[in-house]
Amino acid sequence: MTVERQPSDLRAALAKTIVGQEGVIEALLLALLSNGHVLLEGPPGLAKTLACRSLAAALEGDFKRIQFTPDLLPSDIVGTRIFDQRESSFATVLGPIFANVVLADEINRAPAKVQSALLEAMQERQVTIGPESHVLPDPFVVMATMNPLDSEGTYALPIAQMDRFLMKISVGYPTRDEELQILDRFAMADTQPVRCVATLDDVRAWRAAAHAVHVDEKLKRYIVDLVAITRAAQNVAVKSAGGASLKAAELIDYGASPRATLALAFLARGRALLDGRDFALPDDVRAVAAPALRHRIGFNYRLATENVSADVVIDAMIAAIPAP
Amino acid sequence: MLQRLTVEAFVLSADTMQPQVDEPFHVVVTLHVRERVSAINNLQLPMLAQLELLGDERQTVTDPRGTQYREVVTVVVHAAGRFTIAPATLQAIDARDGKPKQWFTNDLPLSVRSSPTRIASGVAAGLFSQIARILAALIWLALLVGAALLAIFLLRRRAPVAPVPAPVAEPVSYQRVLSDAQRRRHIIEDALLVLRAERTRSAAVRVRAAVWRVIGAPEGETLGDVLRRPGCSEGPLRDLLVALERSAFTYDEDLAAAVEDACAALERYAESLT
Repeated sequence: MTVERQPSDLRAALAKTIVGQEGVIEALLLALLSNGHVLLEGPPGLAKTLACRSLAAALEGDFKRIQFTPDLLPSDIVGTRIFDQRESSFATVLGPIFANVVLADEINRAPAKVQSALLEAMQERQVTIGPESHVLPDPFVVMATMNPLDSEGTYALPIAQMDRFLMKISVGYPTRDEELQILDRFAMADTQPVRCVATLDDVRAWRAAAHAVHVDEKLKRYIVDLVAITRAAQNVAVKSAGGASLKAAELIDYGASPRATLALAFLARGRALLDGRDFALPDDVRAVAAPALRHRIGFNYRLATENVSADVVIDAMIAAIPAP
Repeated sequence: MLQRLTVEAFVLSADTMQPQVDEPFHVVVTLHVRERVSAINNLQLPMLAQLELLGDERQTVTDPRGTQYREVVTVVVHAAGRFTIAPATLQAIDARDGKPKQWFTNDLPLSVRSSPTRIASGVAAGLFSQIARILAALIWLALLVGAALLAIFLLRRRAPVAPVPAPVAEPVSYQRVLSDAQRRRHIIEDALLVLRAERTRSAAVRVRAAVWRVIGAPEGETLGDVLRRPGCSEGPLRDLLVALERSAFTYDEDLAAAVEDACAALERYAESLT
């Protein structure tokens, strides 16, 4: 399939607006190409909203932001039916979930039933309001954020729900140079609006092209091995912050699900397409392994008591599997 | 991690230097080190281009004098002519001075002969068989006489003779045998021969592994890791690594073109090594 505009054009357009945060930009594009959703963990003020808004603008799509709070109701997200007195009938009012790019800000501040309403919509790509089912727009990408610094009054997302996110990205602070660029771009000059570089039809064509990206048998085995080691990591050594030597298996209650296997393949294909290739490489799999596995592994209390970072354990497991 | 070894002998040999077409023969790598080790790491066989591999047998024997490693590769040639098998290499830390070094075996020039015409005549075959029987009898007789003489010699020996230490082979230092570029070029040319003769995925994967070994990249790294190595991120080597990665992982319809690109990249890289 020949697509005139390439995903790399979209990446270049976003990079003109967002300073640094290549990981966030790539995650958004991969989610778009793989028809998945992204969970972002990071402190406020790191251009998450700007990234989503810019993506929607670059695609001429709709953008909606939902601030999750403890008093939010499912109907605040999916919509509701209200009684029209003039017509003497119920009319459906669609909620903010009906957009191409949705930012679910601080998703862990809302109670479980609200989270479930969102995650069900993400999975089924349709919502039912009263007797009617409404299909969500296509493409439909949810970018949910969690703030790791302020956990008071939050409701942790159950693992089963976390599993529905294609990837989880840890967003870090910009470097000093990037922060200087932010200052120049946003405080010292008029910011330019994001130029539309692709249409929603282009995105659908890119998705088809990503689906056709070749994944070699050796890579498939590599993907399966990467997921399998999360379930049996007895031979993976990890150093705690205090220097103690531990086995990764001692820190893990359960490993990643087969959904992780699929996610790795989808993401590797998407990354290959972003790089202009029609075949995936071990580098693609390794680059997406941590974001695809991070939220799908159940760590136990020893992770905290031994003062080990989850990413250190995941990196050790990835390093333990030789690339083909 | 490199092993710390005192290399005493490192030799490449074959059971014949004039093998016949389509008749299997053995190429043998023999290494003797003074240390007692359970395995020898970082020993690389040559690419064995133009040969078909039929089997590979490794044996590591330790005794009080050290370790003897012997690898016997059974191969067969399908075309007559002359060619040279490149040296096998061993990377280790020289226990004599603690420095990492690379040892090379000799190379092995072979002259492959066409199969001799089969002797069809039953009379001639019978004559040969009789001669063979006479020769076998003579050999047996010589062996018996030799064994008797040896037994007499051992019985007459009164005191054990102090063991004479085996002469220690000087490490064949890298610079004294082949320059780095020459060694690389040798292997790359071998790889090119292999890939041109066998334009398959498995050959591409083998050549990719050989090129990675040439540049010192361990198995299990990704292309990204390898490209971050010094000298690998630009020029003909970078093009070669990218082309080999494509031929190892692209889809079947693209394989022929990918292998063609990889051959061209191998050629350019080999030229750059002069």
